[in-house]
Amino acid sequence: MARKQKLSFSIFVSAVLIVVSVLFLFPIFFCIFTSFKESAEIIRDITFIPHKWSSVNYDYVFARGAKYLRYYLNTIIITASSVAITLVLSALSGYAFARLHFRGSKFLLASILFLLAFPLCAILIPIYMMEYELRLLNSYLGIILPNLLCILPFSIFIMRGAFIDMSDELEDSAEIDGCSVPQTFFNIMLPLAQNALIIVLVSGFYNVWGEYTISKTLASKDSIMPISVALTLLKSEDWNYGVLAAAITLSIIPPIVVFAVFQDKLVEGMSAGAIKG
Amino acid sequence: MQNTISFRKKARARWGVIFVIPTCVVLFVFVFYPICYTLVLSLNEYNFAYDMHMKFVGLKNFVDMFKDIQFLTALKNTLQFTLFMFVILVVLSLSLALLLFNKKRRSWLYRVSIFMPIVVPASLICILFSFMLADNFGIVNKFLVSIGLSGWSHNWLTDAKTARVWVIIVSVWGKVGFCTILFLSGLQNISQDMFEAAEIDGAVGWKKLIHIMIPNLTETFVVVGIWAILQCLKLFVTPNVLTKGGPANATLVMYQNIYNTAFNYFDMGYAAAQAFVLTALVMIFSLLNMKLSKGEN
Repeated sequence: MARKQKLSFSIFVSAVLIVVSVLFLFPIFFCIFTSFKESAEIIRDITFIPHKWSSVNYDYVFARGAKYLRYYLNTIIITASSVAITLVLSALSGYAFARLHFRGSKFLLASILFLLAFPLCAILIPIYMMEYELRLLNSYLGIILPNLLCILPFSIFIMRGAFIDMSDELEDSAEIDGCSVPQTFFNIMLPLAQNALIIVLVSGFYNVWGEYTISKTLASKDSIMPISVALTLLKSEDWNYGVLAAAITLSIIPPIVVFAVFQDKLVEGMSAGAIKG
Repeated sequence: MQNTISFRKKARARWGVIFVIPTCVVLFVFVFYPICYTLVLSLNEYNFAYDMHMKFVGLKNFVDMFKDIQFLTALKNTLQFTLFMFVILVVLSLSLALLLFNKKRRSWLYRVSIFMPIVVPASLICILFSFMLADNFGIVNKFLVSIGLSGWSHNWLTDAKTARVWVIIVSVWGKVGFCTILFLSGLQNISQDMFEAAEIDGAVGWKKLIHIMIPNLTETFVVVGIWAILQCLKLFVTPNVLTKGGPANATLVMYQNIYNTAFNYFDMGYAAAQAFVLTALVMIFSLLNMKLSKGEN
């Protein structure tokens, strides 16, 4: 009896999970399928899976290449630079907060956590004015630097968490062998924090890749705009949803692939970071 | 010996300071200084497009706000959205986490599909939803017609009520995965012994949930709670792309209103004051959440 109950319970769990998974994946698959449909099928027949697979939308995206590739390239430039800077800054400061205690380090860490709570719009108003004065509006640098704010605090906590868990002996023996602090950090400790670096890299990547608010505020020119903002503005301009779906598909594939590859590490790291933070 | 240790300590502290300097410079210039600037702005009248200088007006901006219908609508909507989204986020993510926790084998696919929306750019998914919800060629209406519910088909995003519902649904779709991850890892951290002991005592199903899982998840509730509140109050991308705050301000949230005031009308002082009200709300709700979760324990 108990066994039968257990079995029916597990069937129930699976059934609910299947329904939920389908609902969650539906928009993504709809987007991918739509990108392979011709416009008659999109507007008139309204199919889910295309009857006739066609690459016409992708042809269009690549034919008008300059425009879309520019947006794509902007996203890549902004994402790569923001993540690279974040990796350096968070590794250094995470190590300092975890292992190189100095007067006021705890207070500094707490203030960083506190700053996290401020809504971005409170910060963006002065940043906009500052960047206007410094002529940084519509420049890569002007978008990259504020983007750091979104990912830096979380990254610092991830790196700090990784360094705190390491044993003291490694450091001690390295220093007895005559390594200076930076030498110990770069040659011994940093390679050991590889997993945390991957988490910072991946979470930073998809956060900046899809970032909307900052770029929308600080970029108004096509030559700088990342794809996450540019496509929302295209919507009313050319109502070709097939092309739009193709462009969206191309820009959601990279974060999805990266996520699928690093899923386990990422999930573990994100929850650890949030709890420790 | 004592000397070398303290010497080493000093050297490490010195390097510690050097290591955090770059981060501190970035955070100072791009967070601390702007926040102070916002505080100053909020006490001034300053239109960035016309005015040459700020004009000190004291608390005028804060007083004006509560006579401003637009602001009050945004405030009301934000609080409503926060209430609904928060409850849905917490309940849904806890349920999903419990389901995933019970599904020990072959759960990879389910986990990936529930967590995946976290990494998909929200603004792009909103474009897609606006397409799926379109009146005459949206797949949602088509589906309703095909299962014989043509009466239910609707112009979803131009009706105030349904537009709100869809803003919440799309936002939850993108955010619930992260809360689920937190709850799931909270559940996995509960020691197996505790479950076994409870089972010997005859605790099954609901009893197990109420007496073992929930009390052991207090910390997770705090973290999920704060994160979810922040996300709800800072709601911007979904209403901005999906409805632009419309129809007739039905989905106008505070964030959107601040954005409009600052970057469409360039009324920086007034926008800064509103941003501070939003910040205050974030702080109050986070503290409240911390208190409540601790009280339950």
